[in-house]
Amino acid sequence: MSKTMVHKKKGLLHELNKNKILFLMLLPTLLYFLINNYVPMIGIYYAFVQFDFHSTNMFQMAFIGLKNFEFLWKSGKLIQLTINTIGYNIAFIVLVNGLAISVAVLLSELRGKWFKKITQSILFLPYFVSFVILSVIVFNLFNYDQGVLNTVLEKLGAEPINLYAKPTAWIFLIIIFFLWKNFGYSMVIYLASITGISEEYYEAAKIDGANIFQRSWHITLPMLKNTFVILLLFALGGIMKGQFDLFYQMVGNNGLLFSTTDILDTYVYRSLRVTFDMGMATAAGVYQSIFGFALIMTVNTIIRKINKDYALF
Amino acid sequence: MVGKQKKVLHLFISLVLVLTLLAACSNNSKTNNEPSPAPSKSTTTEGTNAEGNESSISGIDTSERVELQFYMLGNAPKDLDKVEAQVNEWLLEDLNATVKFNYTTWTDWDQKYRLLLSTGQDVDLIFTAEWTQYQQYAKNGAFMRLDELLPVAAPKLYEFVPQDMWEAVKIDGNIYTVPATYKEYVTGGFVWREDLRVKHNLPKPVDIETFEAYLAGIKQNEPNIQPLAVGQDVGATLEDAYLDFQRQRVGAMPYGLHASYSDPSNIVGYWGSEEHLTDLKRYKSWADNGYFSKNELNETDGNQDKLTNGTAAAMLSDNPTRYNSVLNQMKALHPDWDLAYHPYGLTLGYATPVHPIHNGFAVPKNSKKAERALAFYELMVTDKRYNLLTQYGFEDVNYTVEDGYYKMIGDNTTNGFVREAMNGWAWRNPEYMIFEPSYDGVEAIFNELDKIQVPDIYTGFAEDYTPYQAERAALEQVEKQYLYPLMAGLVDDVEDGLKTFMEKANQAGLEKIQESYKQQWLQYLQESGHN
Repeated sequence: MSKTMVHKKKGLLHELNKNKILFLMLLPTLLYFLINNYVPMIGIYYAFVQFDFHSTNMFQMAFIGLKNFEFLWKSGKLIQLTINTIGYNIAFIVLVNGLAISVAVLLSELRGKWFKKITQSILFLPYFVSFVILSVIVFNLFNYDQGVLNTVLEKLGAEPINLYAKPTAWIFLIIIFFLWKNFGYSMVIYLASITGISEEYYEAAKIDGANIFQRSWHITLPMLKNTFVILLLFALGGIMKGQFDLFYQMVGNNGLLFSTTDILDTYVYRSLRVTFDMGMATAAGVYQSIFGFALIMTVNTIIRKINKDYALF
Repeated sequence: MVGKQKKVLHLFISLVLVLTLLAACSNNSKTNNEPSPAPSKSTTTEGTNAEGNESSISGIDTSERVELQFYMLGNAPKDLDKVEAQVNEWLLEDLNATVKFNYTTWTDWDQKYRLLLSTGQDVDLIFTAEWTQYQQYAKNGAFMRLDELLPVAAPKLYEFVPQDMWEAVKIDGNIYTVPATYKEYVTGGFVWREDLRVKHNLPKPVDIETFEAYLAGIKQNEPNIQPLAVGQDVGATLEDAYLDFQRQRVGAMPYGLHASYSDPSNIVGYWGSEEHLTDLKRYKSWADNGYFSKNELNETDGNQDKLTNGTAAAMLSDNPTRYNSVLNQMKALHPDWDLAYHPYGLTLGYATPVHPIHNGFAVPKNSKKAERALAFYELMVTDKRYNLLTQYGFEDVNYTVEDGYYKMIGDNTTNGFVREAMNGWAWRNPEYMIFEPSYDGVEAIFNELDKIQVPDIYTGFAEDYTPYQAERAALEQVEKQYLYPLMAGLVDDVEDGLKTFMEKANQAGLEKIQESYKQQWLQYLQESGHN
C-alpha cells in the first residue's frame, strides 16, 4: 500500500521533471487563465457584502449573507425568467442545428458551383448584421403606424395589427430572427465537415445501390455527429449569457412583452441599470454562473453516459 | 549535442512566450494608471515649469507634475483635443499639471458613471447633479469632503460661490460638490409648433384642456404629424410632467409617492389611488385619439429631434433653455417653422429656480490629486481665459462676439466646438457668459419666472435606500413591466391593469419602501425647516 503511494508520488514529480519543457510551454496558458479567469473570482465575495464607498476593499464591507440575492426573487419572476432563458435556448439550439444540418446536406448534394456559392454567402451574410441594426429593421417592419406589415395589411383592406402589444407573437419572432441571423454560421461549419468526408464512402454506397437519401441518412448524418456534439456543448456554455443583445434590442423597454421575452440577462441588466449596486450585480452574476455550471455538468454527464468520446471532460 | 540545442531552443521559445504575456500585462496596467502625458507641446514647456513656478496660485504643493482626470457626461466636441492642448499649456505654467478631459457619451452614461465611482478608477473631477444621484453618492461616501480643502486649494472659488449655495449642496452637513452659480430655471413648460397653431387657429396651450385641444386640432388637420412626442421614458415625459403641472408635485418623487408643493409634509401614495386611475385614463385617451404612437415604448428617436424634423408637433414638458435650443435647431433647418413655449409657472403661479445641486463638480473619494483638481477647477470657473475657452472654444475660430452676443462661426457640422460644447453647465460663470441673440427669449421667460420664484424644497433631500435596496430593484422591474404599458395606453382595461400593477408592486415590497421613504422625507422637512 505504502509502496504504491510512494511510487505514485515519485511518478508525479518524475513526470514534471521529465516533461519540464512541455510544462514550461504550458505555463503561459495556465498563467493567462489564472490571471484573467481565476484570480478575478475573488470578486464573488462582493455578492455577500453591502457595498459602500467608505471601505477601501471589499473585506472591510459588512457581510450580509444572501441579502443581495433577494432582488432576484422579490418580484416573483425568477422561475419565469429561468424557464424563458432555458426555453429559448433549447429552441435556438435545436432549430439552428436542425436547419443548418439539413441545408448543409442539401447544399453539399448540389452540383452547380455558382449557385452553391451564392446561396452559401447569402445565408451567411445576416450573421454580420448587428443586433442594433436588426432592432431597427424589426421596428420598421412591425411598428403600428408606419410599419411595413401594417402598410401592406391596410393596402389589402385588413385590420392593422399592433404586434408590439402581443407577447405570444414575439416568441416566434425572436426565434425566427435568431435563426435568420445565426444558422448560416453553423451551416458553414457543417458544410466544412461534410467536405471532409471521404468520397469513397459515397462511391461504395452508390455501387451497393444506395440512393441519395440513403446516402445522406446513413453516411453524412452519422459523420456529422461529432461536429454537432461540439457545437452543442459550446452553445450550452453560452446559455446563461442568453443572447442578451437579441432580446434587449428587439424588445427594449416594452414591458408589455416581458412576460414572454424576459430572460435572466435582460432582467438583471434592467434592474441594475437603475439601482446599480456592486453587491447585487455580483449576486446576479454568481447566480448565472452557478446555473450555467450546473447545466454544463449535467449535459456533459449525460453525453458521457451515452458515448464517452464525445464528452468535453 | 543536437538534443541539447533543441532543449535550449524550447526553453528560449517558452521564455519568449512568458515574457510577451507579462509584457502585455504590464503595458495594460501602465496605460490604465497613468495615461501618457498629452501632446508634444507639454514636453517643451516642461523644463521651464518644473522649477520656479511651484505653488504659483495658492498654498498648495505643486512641485510634482500630475495629470488630472476630468470626467463629464455626454459627447466630446470634435475640437476637444485642441482645447485640451491649449488648457494644458496654461495649466503647466499655473499648476504644473495637465488635464485629460474624458467624456462618457450619452449611451449608458448612468452605468459608466456608476462604474467610474465604484471601481476605484483614477478620477479627479466628475460632474454631479440631482439626476446623477449626487445626494445618494455623497451620502454613501463616493465623494471627498471638501469643507477643509476648498479654502486652501481654491480660495477664490470658495469666495466666488455664495455661502447659501454652499449650504444648499451640503449633505449631512458636509460639502461634496462645487455648485454652479448661474441662475436658471429648469422647470417645465408646454412646447408646441406655433406656426401650425396659428395656421389652424388652435387655442394656445396654457393648461391640460387647452393643450388637449391643440393636440386634437393637429390630429385633425395634420394627418402626417404625430401631435405629441412621448418616447420610451413615459415615466418622465408623461407622468412626471403631468403631475408636475396638474397636481403641483413638489418634485419627481419616486415609488408612486406624491406630495404637493403647497403641502409637502402631506405625503401620500399616488399609485393605485383614484387620481392615478383618472390620470392613466387620460393618457389612454391620448393614445386612443392617436395623439401619440402605439409604439412609444419601442421608439428610438429623441423627442426633441422629432420636433425639429417635423414628425411631432408638441411636448408635454421641457425646460426653457432646451426649448430655446430646439427652436434654434429647428430654425436652422426650417426657417419658416416656429415653436412656442408656455412655462407651467405662469399658470401655476410659482416657479422654482434651479437648485445648486443641479450642476456641480465633485472630487471622488479615491482621487490622489484633490488639491490640484480643485485648484484647476477654480481656474475653469474664475479665470476668464480658461472659462471662455472651455465654454465657447477659440475666439475667431469657433465663435466671434458681436454687439455683446455670441456668434458661431460656420454651423453645427463645420464648427468643431459649438457653444458650451463641453457640456460646461457646471463651470458657467455668469460674469463671463456670452449668449446668442435668441437667449433674449429665454431671459424674458426667466425674468417672468423671477417674479413668482419660490425655493426648490425637494432637491436638497438625500434619500438613503440601503434599507430597501432589494425591494427597490424589484419594484423598478414591476414598474417597467406593468405600469409603463399602462401609461403608454397599451392596456385596454386600465382599471384592471392598475389592479394587476398594484398587486405586483405590493408583492415586490412597495409598502416597505414607501414607509421608509415617507419617514426620511418628513425628517428631512423637519430638519431643513421646510414644512
